[in-house]
Amino acid sequence: MPDHLTELQLDALRELANISSGTAATSLSQMLGRDVDLSVPRALALPLADAVEAAGDPAETVTGIGLEVTGDVPGAVLLLVPPEGAATLCSLLGVEPGTEVGDSALGEIGNILGASYLNALSSMTGMSLLPGTPQVMTDLLGAIVASVLAQSVGHGDIALVLDSELDITGEPCAISFMLLPDADGVNDLLAPLGVGDPAS
Amino acid sequence: MGELAVAGTVGDELVAIGLGSCIGLALVDRAANVAGLAHVVLPDSQGQQVPRAKFADTAVPELIACVLAAGALRRRLEAVLIGGARMFSVGASLDVGARNAEAVREALGRERIRIHVEEVGGNRGRTARVIIGTEITSQLAGGPRTSLLSFGPQRPGSTLRTVGALR
Repeated sequence: MPDHLTELQLDALRELANISSGTAATSLSQMLGRDVDLSVPRALALPLADAVEAAGDPAETVTGIGLEVTGDVPGAVLLLVPPEGAATLCSLLGVEPGTEVGDSALGEIGNILGASYLNALSSMTGMSLLPGTPQVMTDLLGAIVASVLAQSVGHGDIALVLDSELDITGEPCAISFMLLPDADGVNDLLAPLGVGDPAS
Repeated sequence: MGELAVAGTVGDELVAIGLGSCIGLALVDRAANVAGLAHVVLPDSQGQQVPRAKFADTAVPELIACVLAAGALRRRLEAVLIGGARMFSVGASLDVGARNAEAVREALGRERIRIHVEEVGGNRGRTARVIIGTEITSQLAGGPRTSLLSFGPQRPGSTLRTVGALR
């Protein structure tokens, strides 16, 4: 359970996130034909309210791309892109931002990033993690992040967030990539690495 | 999120920014200039005790106790509900927003608290503001503030007091 995650377990999750987001960054780079810089990922186990704060300013308007994750480790993938970043991504893909086609192109970016990240995670842990259909919405960061976290946290109060930041070199575009595993699935990711919780 | 706050001084402001599927529940005693705001995340605590404001069934009694402690009178309490939108259907893919709104209404019904107004549903996030002595507003991202309740000069509490004096 994420309530009892040790530093060692968080380190292991960070390493999983590092490798998986590296794979995702490569896919994005191939899709856009641009270099993509990747920040060192974070693995955070935080109370719900703090987890929202960790994602950014709750009053900021962002575009969120969300994918449900099903399989052995259910949860959600959430990408957050500030408005200028969303406009940049759309123009790199040759579509008009803020339109239905623009949103669908952003959904496709979510698809590519989510699928390659989850694939990498799957092959490292032997667990199945399957991406759902991407949904795109532009709203307050707090409303987007809290709504997704409310479902993944359930009745505990600790949210596990694996996040990485992807920057497209030379463009004003930072994509915040988050994997939010449901409370009960985390141990399944840790067990294959030998740092699982033997109790559960 | 899962937190609550109470204020009892004119001009004080309570804010819940970015309510998606969550509910901002305000309880107000306009005559006493006392109000509380809870940020409710999920409908049912299923026995979980903390944080109490996180779940509709535990948040309502907790918020009532807090506003009464700050000087509100129970019979003058009015409720305002803001939020409960259907955002992403990621995860359990059930409409958490609607279930939250329903659970808050039920909990208020059990406590016999009147709902003054609701601004719930839809698929966009809202920001709730309670400004003591002035008004309660709801605001969509990038939109104007909509006034849902005005503290105003005519307070139901003062009318009740007059009725009492005439008897």
